[in-house]
Amino acid sequence: MLILKTLARNKAMHGFEIAEFILETSNGVLQVEEGSLYPALQRMLLKNWLVGDWGKTDENRRARYYSLTAEGRKQLVRELDRYARVSQAIAAILQPV
Amino acid sequence: MPFLRRFAAFFRRNRETRALREEMALHVELRARKLRLSGLAPDDAGFAARRQFGNAAVYQDQISAIWGWTMWERFLQDLRHGIRTLMKAPAFAAITVLTLALGLGINTAIFSAVNAVMLRPLPYPQPDRLVSLWEENIHPDDRRFSSSGAPAGTLGGSGRTTVAPANLVDYRACDAFEGLAAYDSSPVNLTGMGTPQRIAGESVTWNYFSVLGVPPAEGRTFLPEEDRPGANPVVIVSHQFWQQRLGGAPDALDRTILLDGKPYRIVGILPAGFESPQKLGLAETTEVYLTASYSNELLANRGDHDVNGLARLKPGVSIASAQDSLTAISASLARQYPTTNRNFRAEIASLRDDLNGIVSHSLWALLGASGLIVLIACVNVANLLMMRAAGRRHESSVRMALGSGRLPLVRQLMTESLVIAAAGCLAGIGAGRLLMFGLTAIAPAGIPRIDTAGMDWRVFGVAAALALVTGLIFGMAPAWQASQANPVDALKTAARGTSGKSQARWRTALTIAEVSLSLVLLVAAGLLLRSFSTLMGVKLGFQTDRVIAMNINLPELRYADGPARFQFFQKLEDRVRALPGVVGVATANRMPMRGGWSSGIFIDGDMGNEFEPDFQAVTPGYFQTLGIPLLRGRLLTGQDTDKSVPVAVVNQAFAHQLLHDRDPVGHTLDRGTPAPRITIVGVVNDIRRKGKEGQIKPEVYLNAAQTALYPVRLADFAVRSSVDPHSLVNAISREVWAIDKDQPVTNVRTMDEIIDEAVARRRFQTLLLIIFAGVAVALAIVGIYGVLGYSVSQRIGELGIRVALGAPPRAILALVLRQAGTLIAAGIAMGIVGAYGLTRFLQDLLFQVKTTDWRAYAGAVALLAIVAVIAALVPARRGARVDPVVALRQE
Repeated sequence: MLILKTLARNKAMHGFEIAEFILETSNGVLQVEEGSLYPALQRMLLKNWLVGDWGKTDENRRARYYSLTAEGRKQLVRELDRYARVSQAIAAILQPV
Repeated sequence: MPFLRRFAAFFRRNRETRALREEMALHVELRARKLRLSGLAPDDAGFAARRQFGNAAVYQDQISAIWGWTMWERFLQDLRHGIRTLMKAPAFAAITVLTLALGLGINTAIFSAVNAVMLRPLPYPQPDRLVSLWEENIHPDDRRFSSSGAPAGTLGGSGRTTVAPANLVDYRACDAFEGLAAYDSSPVNLTGMGTPQRIAGESVTWNYFSVLGVPPAEGRTFLPEEDRPGANPVVIVSHQFWQQRLGGAPDALDRTILLDGKPYRIVGILPAGFESPQKLGLAETTEVYLTASYSNELLANRGDHDVNGLARLKPGVSIASAQDSLTAISASLARQYPTTNRNFRAEIASLRDDLNGIVSHSLWALLGASGLIVLIACVNVANLLMMRAAGRRHESSVRMALGSGRLPLVRQLMTESLVIAAAGCLAGIGAGRLLMFGLTAIAPAGIPRIDTAGMDWRVFGVAAALALVTGLIFGMAPAWQASQANPVDALKTAARGTSGKSQARWRTALTIAEVSLSLVLLVAAGLLLRSFSTLMGVKLGFQTDRVIAMNINLPELRYADGPARFQFFQKLEDRVRALPGVVGVATANRMPMRGGWSSGIFIDGDMGNEFEPDFQAVTPGYFQTLGIPLLRGRLLTGQDTDKSVPVAVVNQAFAHQLLHDRDPVGHTLDRGTPAPRITIVGVVNDIRRKGKEGQIKPEVYLNAAQTALYPVRLADFAVRSSVDPHSLVNAISREVWAIDKDQPVTNVRTMDEIIDEAVARRRFQTLLLIIFAGVAVALAIVGIYGVLGYSVSQRIGELGIRVALGAPPRAILALVLRQAGTLIAAGIAMGIVGAYGLTRFLQDLLFQVKTTDWRAYAGAVALLAIVAVIAALVPARRGARVDPVVALRQE
């Protein structure tokens, strides 16, 4: 969900950018492990939520830029829904009486 | 489609892997730079970045698994390993692949024939709605009818006859039919276009082409008013006729051609590739189609069965319901016209089944037999694989002991089996192609469409499926074996050099199966052989050697009546008799094995009993030329003329069946017409006019000189010679052309050739089955030899101890042979049961032989037992010659 949201907010990004973005946006709280990042990206490629296009970084290095597909956007909506429901439920339980 | 993406990605997986590596390297680099910017030393930054990133190789593996590459990669690895291990044992690989190629090749060839003949639809639109129609005499003993014309189909009982055109009108009323047409072969003499030729023609009702659903490519089809007596003669010609005889002339329509000396106007040209149902797959093709134009006389006589019916069912109507409504029509006809229709019923069957008939029986039988061969081949390969697996037991035990799971072991063995199966399949398709060429080359004439047998997707599909199934079957045994292996036991037994008990049990079972399967095939071959030799033993009753027969069909336009034709043949007989080497000459309406004529008669004026013997119009030389001996009275002579008393000679069957063994000489015959009665003057020996499989019927031989009033045409001419009769053909043709330069001479065959052709189909299927049985026995021998040879080599230590303890070589021999004997006896016992169950399907192919014929069984058992024991003797002798010192040292 975080990766999808990141890509929905921004244009295409490569793996490092995604990890950094999440880290910065969450003020250093959420650190995406590289060990989960790349398999997760591949899994999403397989499910056709993402497409990867080769491009150049600012320093002119080859990198794969990921962007969302229509399918990926739908998935993001589904996941946000589910997250909203779960977090509301948790919030309801945690509410001070 | 994730599946497709997975699959596609598999082929780019190396590129993907490189891409991932690049991506991750970039990541590490960027991280290192970031760390450096935050103040770390460059080296430490690199280390930290890598440490933080973790093990890239593990991620690679994870990603590989995500894409499902692992499974494929393992398969490829097994495949490569399988191919490599097979390459290392070329002899083993060659034997297994060859065995499979033999089995699969035979199957592919037979299946492609079955496919061409029986599975592919007939080449007409909506062929499933086409049915063949005939009339069935439900009391075949009552022969109160006359029939001519050759039935085109093969189904139906012994009472099957052609249809009476008079009944066609009523059958057309059947509401199940969209259309009902009739056809009959009607060869004609084509003149006025080079050498006179006799070509295949068909007389058809006007709606014939619309029932078949094939309109002419050029011109039009027949009009109803052209299908009447006296109508303008018109003809529709085949594409081949147009191309070859008219040179494809664009103005061929409306041209006139001379058929039997009469001008016919061409109104239509058929599309290329069209063939009439009667001639499908035959070398001869129908070139001209004429209108049937049934005479009013014929249409008035419901007892005159002449033509073949062909109907197209309305869409959605089943054959069974059409048959019901036809049966009702037949019943009402029987009430309306009891004298002619009482015993007849119209019957229909799918046109394709009807055309294939008996051929499909033999093809199914052959397909079944070839299926057994594949099974035997499978058993053999399974046996070989198990021996190999036993040899590799040590390898698999070590692998297991080192922690390999059972599944990878089994999977690898199965993959190896499939590699063998795939190679066998390819080789089998190749072998099948070769076999098929051989098969179609030696196939007898008359199997519809066998010439079109070829490899199509269906044949390939069946071959591939068969290979897969066989691969699984023969791969299962060794794989299962391997999975059962207990590494501890296996390593221990492997050290001792003997193989497990269950292994031996498996191989014993396989060998027994092999022996029993080949016995089934041997029995089948034996039955067909018995049937064939019974057939060959049937006496024809006349001498066929050095007799040549030919057809000289005199067209009505130039030879208007019987006397004119008789005169022609008189002249011809005189001329040919004078040729050197000629011993006898004869003319007849038809020579034996070439059709005939029958007619109703009354004996001694007794109008209450009508009989229907065969009639032959012959010249006096007939009996001498064909070598038919006279038994009583006299033969026909040149003194019997149209002026003298009409006389006839009859056969023994006539005396026996129609006169209850009274002496026929002196009795008289008449056909219920005012013509003078015929007096019987002699009795000759019975002959089998219809060949070895035919029944002997009562015959009446009339003198050709006295048949002017009979509806019979002299058309066959035969010569007996003292030299090779083929050498006389040219001289005889010259004599024919000296009398009439426009007269074709056709269908020139020696009697021996004619008889040979008649048994060709039986010879063909007998030969094929014998070959199959031979292959089966050869495979079984290899199996027995292999199993015993292996068992002897495994027991060499034990045998050595026995010898060392004083067992004479004879005892060792007996020991091994006893083991073989048990196998063989068990196999034979099972084979007899199997043969008893399976050969009943052969009954339709057998001539006067029961499927339980004990001689066939005894012969098969004896043959198999002998070769099996011989196969066992070789390893047994090796066992008996064991040198104890050598044997024990091996321990």
